[in-house]
Amino acid sequence: MRSGALKTNQTMALVAAVAGWIVPGLGHLVLRRWSKAAVYFLCVGGLACAGLAMRGGTFGASAEDLFDRLGFFADLGAGIFYFFAHQIQSAGPDVAHATGDYGTRLFAAAGMLNLLTVLEAYDIGRGGEAK
Amino acid sequence: MNALFGGLTHFGALLFFALVVSVTFAFLSKRTSTERLHYTLWAFLAFLIVAIGIGWLMYPFSQ
Repeated sequence: MRSGALKTNQTMALVAAVAGWIVPGLGHLVLRRWSKAAVYFLCVGGLACAGLAMRGGTFGASAEDLFDRLGFFADLGAGIFYFFAHQIQSAGPDVAHATGDYGTRLFAAAGMLNLLTVLEAYDIGRGGEAK
Repeated sequence: MNALFGGLTHFGALLFFALVVSVTFAFLSKRTSTERLHYTLWAFLAFLIVAIGIGWLMYPFSQ
């Protein structure tokens, strides 16, 4: 019985983590943490959209050097905002200007923030948080 | 979206970044609304002061 409950917790934690990665805040929504879900969606989404609106670039999977590869993993953390980056900002990146370069950093920061929220969703799903 | 964020100045982007990261960290690390509000204000001001301080320190090298 106890191992069954643990298994359910583990499954729920994984579902919440994956959901939270794909759509920021969705993992917390699944776990009925309404306010956190809304705040994380607005914060991560806002930061990602601001980065794209500033015409920041995103790193692709075929990155060659280590810095670009790290950038790719950071960007990937933004989930749906990364996958639809070209639809959200149809004009494309313009990193020749400082604003575009800042936009690139804002988008990567959004991805990293979302990865932190994913870890929290996983922890809550496992019963690690009583809030 | 472009109308909302496209006209952000560099300082505006700094303020927005500091606010959003402060709020997210507050929700990640604090439990009550009061604690979250205090943490958000503290982290936001810390981001701002450190950014402006580093800007001043780097200013001589931009000449």
